[in-house]
Amino acid sequence: MTKQKLVIALAGNANVGKSVIFNHLTGLHQHIGNWPGKTVERAEGTLRFKDYTIDVIDLPGIYSLSTYSLEEVISRKYIAIEKPDIVINVVDASVLERNLFFTLQLIELQTPMIIALNQMDIAKKKGIEIDPEKLEKLLGIRVIATVATKGVGLFQLLEKAVEAVEKGSPTTHAEVKYGEEVEEKISQVAGMLDGVQFWYPSRYAAIKLLEGDEEIQREISKKDSKIASVAKKLASEIENLHGHSCSTVITSERYELAGCIAREAQKLVPPSKPPIEERLHTLTTHKIMGYPIMAFSLLFMFYSIFTFGGYTSELLNNFFYGLQPIFADLFGSNLVGELVWGGIEGIIAGVTIAIPYIVPFYIILYFLEDSGYLSRIAFLMDNVMHKIGLHGKAFIPMMLGYGCNVPACLGCRIMETERERLLAAFVTTLVPCAARTVIILGLVGHFLGIQWALVLYIFNLLVIFALGRIAFKTLPGEPTALIMEMPSYKSPQLKTVLKETWFRVVEFMKVAFPLIVVGSLAIKLAEIAGLLEQVATLLSPVTVMWLGLPLITGITLIFGVLRKELTLIMLATLLGTTNFALVLTPVQMIVFTLVTMFYIPCIATMAALLREFGWKKALSITIFEIVFAITLGGVALRLLLHVM
Amino acid sequence: MERRGSERSEVPLTALRHGETGIVTSIKAGQGRGWGRGWGFEKRLMDLGLTPGTKVTVVKSAPFRGPLEILVRGSRLALGRGMAERILVEIEKQ
Repeated sequence: MTKQKLVIALAGNANVGKSVIFNHLTGLHQHIGNWPGKTVERAEGTLRFKDYTIDVIDLPGIYSLSTYSLEEVISRKYIAIEKPDIVINVVDASVLERNLFFTLQLIELQTPMIIALNQMDIAKKKGIEIDPEKLEKLLGIRVIATVATKGVGLFQLLEKAVEAVEKGSPTTHAEVKYGEEVEEKISQVAGMLDGVQFWYPSRYAAIKLLEGDEEIQREISKKDSKIASVAKKLASEIENLHGHSCSTVITSERYELAGCIAREAQKLVPPSKPPIEERLHTLTTHKIMGYPIMAFSLLFMFYSIFTFGGYTSELLNNFFYGLQPIFADLFGSNLVGELVWGGIEGIIAGVTIAIPYIVPFYIILYFLEDSGYLSRIAFLMDNVMHKIGLHGKAFIPMMLGYGCNVPACLGCRIMETERERLLAAFVTTLVPCAARTVIILGLVGHFLGIQWALVLYIFNLLVIFALGRIAFKTLPGEPTALIMEMPSYKSPQLKTVLKETWFRVVEFMKVAFPLIVVGSLAIKLAEIAGLLEQVATLLSPVTVMWLGLPLITGITLIFGVLRKELTLIMLATLLGTTNFALVLTPVQMIVFTLVTMFYIPCIATMAALLREFGWKKALSITIFEIVFAITLGGVALRLLLHVM
Repeated sequence: MERRGSERSEVPLTALRHGETGIVTSIKAGQGRGWGRGWGFEKRLMDLGLTPGTKVTVVKSAPFRGPLEILVRGSRLALGRGMAERILVEIEKQ
């Protein structure tokens, strides 16, 4: 018997456990990519069940099917146009009303669906008891109670989903009815739409036109320009009648219905004392206690990452460079051998950064995210981030930047608008990553004392805020405000955390490695051709005359583009000593460190910028940082010579 | 009696004391310098459940004019202060 293909899509709000269900269903058979031409992530996986090969698509977590965000547009189009065989609507039982608001929109879109009533355990702790059967009757949709984190109900969910497809699920959905005046207008517009070929059901399109949905207005105007203007007129009639915009009226009525259904299906039994999650929330967002707790958590996180990272990185480095003689024996020390080794060095560079620093960083980050703590940090840091025109969520990629700028730039996707993504990414590239920390601590910290390293860190923060503020003032557009859900705390799932980490690390390697290898080869080639000395001489007006550094730093700064800490390693190699105090004055050390801190995003970060923002913006950021670092270094030199 | 009192009690969400509950009357959008995405944010707030007539409780706010923590329709949201100032509520009388 041949295997039949099925497509299941998971849809629902954010923080409802969608990805936990996705991971449970598909295991490691996943593919994480982007939606075509978009910077929105697309997670897809396959599984075998009975006689089916099932494709599972995890749609982005959204609150509505309007056009507020790219995620919403993508999900809506996917459901309407590509028509998955069935949609599993994952519903958070602990916030039933708001989740049903989304369910009602799926119903309006005439989506074949079943409901996974998830997080029943959290609901219970909050004192919410839901009767799945009653909900099923009210909605006319199969409802399966699940606790995804424990795997409860998931087999049944899959079984019922397949069953629903086999039966050709009868569309006895509950009707989403609005008030009389609104209904009248809907049928008027829907009537006009009936003859028009469109991928959305006419009633749905009519509702959206009345709501003033820009995407549907645009699409429908291409087919019949009259309909949109009629809808606009009808919408303003409703506005006059109700005193609120038509979109407000429709949304309110839809929410009323969701509320009614929720109230009928659930029973509230307030717990006698607040559960531990609630008390933890109060403590971690407390106006005084919240901050030391956050500082302590972050310090602990960085301390463990850098301790682990430094140790492992050195271990790996020694191991790989221990292989060099063996390699030299194999290829001989001819041109080809040197070039191949150059490429391998690039990979080593990637691996010694990725494994020791990025892996633990992601593990801890996803632990924090999965538990719900990251949103509390965003809450606490919101007004600080506002100083540079961003909101609390931007603190998260910035924090990531201290580990590595590459994932941090990719992490800027959590911001809502293109402008904020760019602003956050720009600020992030200024954050001293693990590699730059090696220089700050290894050079300034080691030879001038830790207080100087601290001064540099604080100076770096000041620069970030100053430049961030300038960029925020110059970039066109308005700042947005924080609108974020703070979901209940839950214990993180090791499996989910590890899987997320794995996919992120793979993504990092895909983005960063090709350019690192190519860059390494190019520099190796230049080295073999004897070009490096010439370049160093060429750079001498900047390095020697303006920055007051030894000629040789020209070469090290070029290597630093591959990997920032190479500037220090190459300096040691080229100068033939690791006792930098013999060859650099304290002022030179500070200037050198300042320059490496800002002078260019490393090649992997450039790759990330390129991928997220296109070459123009990536290039602008790069050129700006080169000019800025050189200017800053020269000025610092002249000032420091006066002081020291 | 004139009903002016009830009109006057319409205040921005930020005026509520911690623990106080209000009923959303409207969301001011489209104001301020080039508030281009005003529609988008108004819609977003509605989609999260802040529709007119909805009960909303201010739990607390972060210090130094930080964001507000609110409870609406059983969910807990963090709202930037600038955003919260645009949400007008009527204070519920005991």
